[in-house]
Amino acid sequence: MLEMFEYEFMQRAFIAGIFIAILASISGTFIVLKRYSLMSETLAHSALVGVAVGLVAGYNPLWVAVIVAVLSAWLIEYLRSNFALYSDAILSIILSGSLALAVIIVSLGGAFNNSLFSYLFGSILSVSYEDVITIALFGTPALVLLLLFSKELYFITYDEEVAKTSGIKVKLLNFLLVTVVAIIIALSIRVVGSLLIGALMVIPTSAALQYRVGFKNTILISLFFALFSVVFGMSLSFYFSLPSGATIVLTVISLFILSLIVNKK
Amino acid sequence: MQLKFKVPIFDVKNLSFRVRGVDILSNISLEIFNGEYIAIIGPNGGGKTTLIRMLLGLDKPSSGEVRLFGKKLKSFKEWHKIGFVPQRASLVDENFPATVEDIVKMGRVANRGIFTGFSSEDAKIVEDAMLKMDIADLKKKMVGTLSGGQRQRVMIARALASKPEILILDEPNTGVDMVSQQRFYKLLAKLNKEENITIVFITHDIGVIADDIGRLFTINQKATVCNDPKETLSCEDISTLYGIDAHLIHNHKHEDHVC
Repeated sequence: MLEMFEYEFMQRAFIAGIFIAILASISGTFIVLKRYSLMSETLAHSALVGVAVGLVAGYNPLWVAVIVAVLSAWLIEYLRSNFALYSDAILSIILSGSLALAVIIVSLGGAFNNSLFSYLFGSILSVSYEDVITIALFGTPALVLLLLFSKELYFITYDEEVAKTSGIKVKLLNFLLVTVVAIIIALSIRVVGSLLIGALMVIPTSAALQYRVGFKNTILISLFFALFSVVFGMSLSFYFSLPSGATIVLTVISLFILSLIVNKK
Repeated sequence: MQLKFKVPIFDVKNLSFRVRGVDILSNISLEIFNGEYIAIIGPNGGGKTTLIRMLLGLDKPSSGEVRLFGKKLKSFKEWHKIGFVPQRASLVDENFPATVEDIVKMGRVANRGIFTGFSSEDAKIVEDAMLKMDIADLKKKMVGTLSGGQRQRVMIARALASKPEILILDEPNTGVDMVSQQRFYKLLAKLNKEENITIVFITHDIGVIADDIGRLFTINQKATVCNDPKETLSCEDISTLYGIDAHLIHNHKHEDHVC
C-alpha cells in the first residue's frame, strides 16, 4: 500500500494535495455559508485564463493563474457592489467569458495539448517541485489570513449588516476573503483541476453541515472530509491511473451522500 | 431642562432620504439621550427602518446629519457601544452552523483585535449576557432548533455582549408568540431601568409598552415627537398616522386607553 510514497512525484503530490485540502475546506466553509459556492467555479475558469497565458507565453502557469484569479475576484466584487446585476448572473458571465478567452489564447498559441488537459482535470504526475514551492508560498499567508480573521468572517457570514454596525470592516474583509479564495483555487488546479476544484471547496462543507454542529466542529468535519478525499482519491489515482481530480471529487461526493443518509431527518 | 446640557447619543438634524425623486423621509430632527426608552411607531413604508438604517450608517442620507455621541458618523469608532437587533432577527437560517454560544460570542468580536482570540473575560461577559436573557441553559443548542422567542433572546444577548450603551431594535417580533413577546417587553424594561441601557424600539405594540416608554416618535415621512405618550397620544393621532380609524380599547390592567 505504501509503495506509492517511494516515488518522489507522489510525495510532491501528497504535500500539495494536503495543503490544498486544508485551504479549500476552511475557506469553503465561509464560501458555502455566504452563498458564494458558484464563485469558486467562476474563479477556477478565470485561473484557466492565467494557465493559458502562462503556457503560451512561457511563464509559470500557476503564478499567472493566481494573478488572473485574484483580478477576476476583484472584478466580481466590483460589479456586485457597483452595478444593478444579480450575483449569479455576474458569475455566469465571467465563467463563460473566462473559458472562451482561455480557449482562444490556447488555440492561438498552439498549446492545446496534454499539458492543458492536466490543468482541467488535475494530475498527480504533473505536480512539480516549483509547484509545491508556489503552493506553500501563496498558501501559507492565505491560511494565516483566514485563521486571523475567522471570527470576523464568521460574524459577517452570519449577518453582514449587524457585523457592519458592530464596527467590523465588512467591505475590506469580503475583499480579503475573495482574494484568498482566488489564490487557493488557482493553486489547486494542479492537483484537482480547474473543472473540479469547486467541488473540493463546496462539498466537504455541505457534507459537514448535515451533522448540525457548531461552527468549530463544522470546520473540523469539513477539514477531515477534504483531507480524507484528497489522500484516498490520490491513492486511487495512483493505483488505477485515473485523473486525480476526478477520483478526489468522487470520494468527497461519496462522503457527502453518506452524510446525507446518516443525518436524514 | 437638564437634558439639554448633555451630549445626546443620537443627534439628528434635518435628515432627508429620497429615492428616485420620492421622499421617504423629509427633514427629520431629533435627539436621543442616555437612559431613555423610546418607541418608534408608524405605518409600514413610513420610513421607520430607513431612519434606523441612516442612524447606523447603513444608508446614506440625501441631506442632513447624524451625530453619534457628539461625533459625525464617519469618524465614529466606538461601535461596540451600539447594539442593533434587526427586523429579521428571529428568522435565522435553520442550517447555519451556530450554537447559541457561537452567536452570542459574535457580540465580542468587535471588542477584540485581529491578533487576539477570545479571552476568559470575553467568556464571562458572554455567559453574563446569556444569563440576563435567560438562555444560559441553551448555550450548546443549535440556534436553528430554537423557537422564535428563544432566538429573539439570543439576538439580544449577542447585542448585550458588546456592552452597549444603547440598544436599537427594529420590530424583532416576527415569528414570536404572544407570551414570548410579553416576556421580551419585560426584559427590555428591566435592561432600561436596572442597567441604564438606552432603548430605541420600533414596534406596533405601542399599547402594551406604553407604561415603560419615556418618549414616542411617530414616523410617516415626517417625525413627530411625543414627550409624554400616555397623555398626548390620542386615537386621532394614531388614525392620522396610519390613515385608518382607530378605536378606544380599555386596557384594564394598566387603566389606560389604548388605541
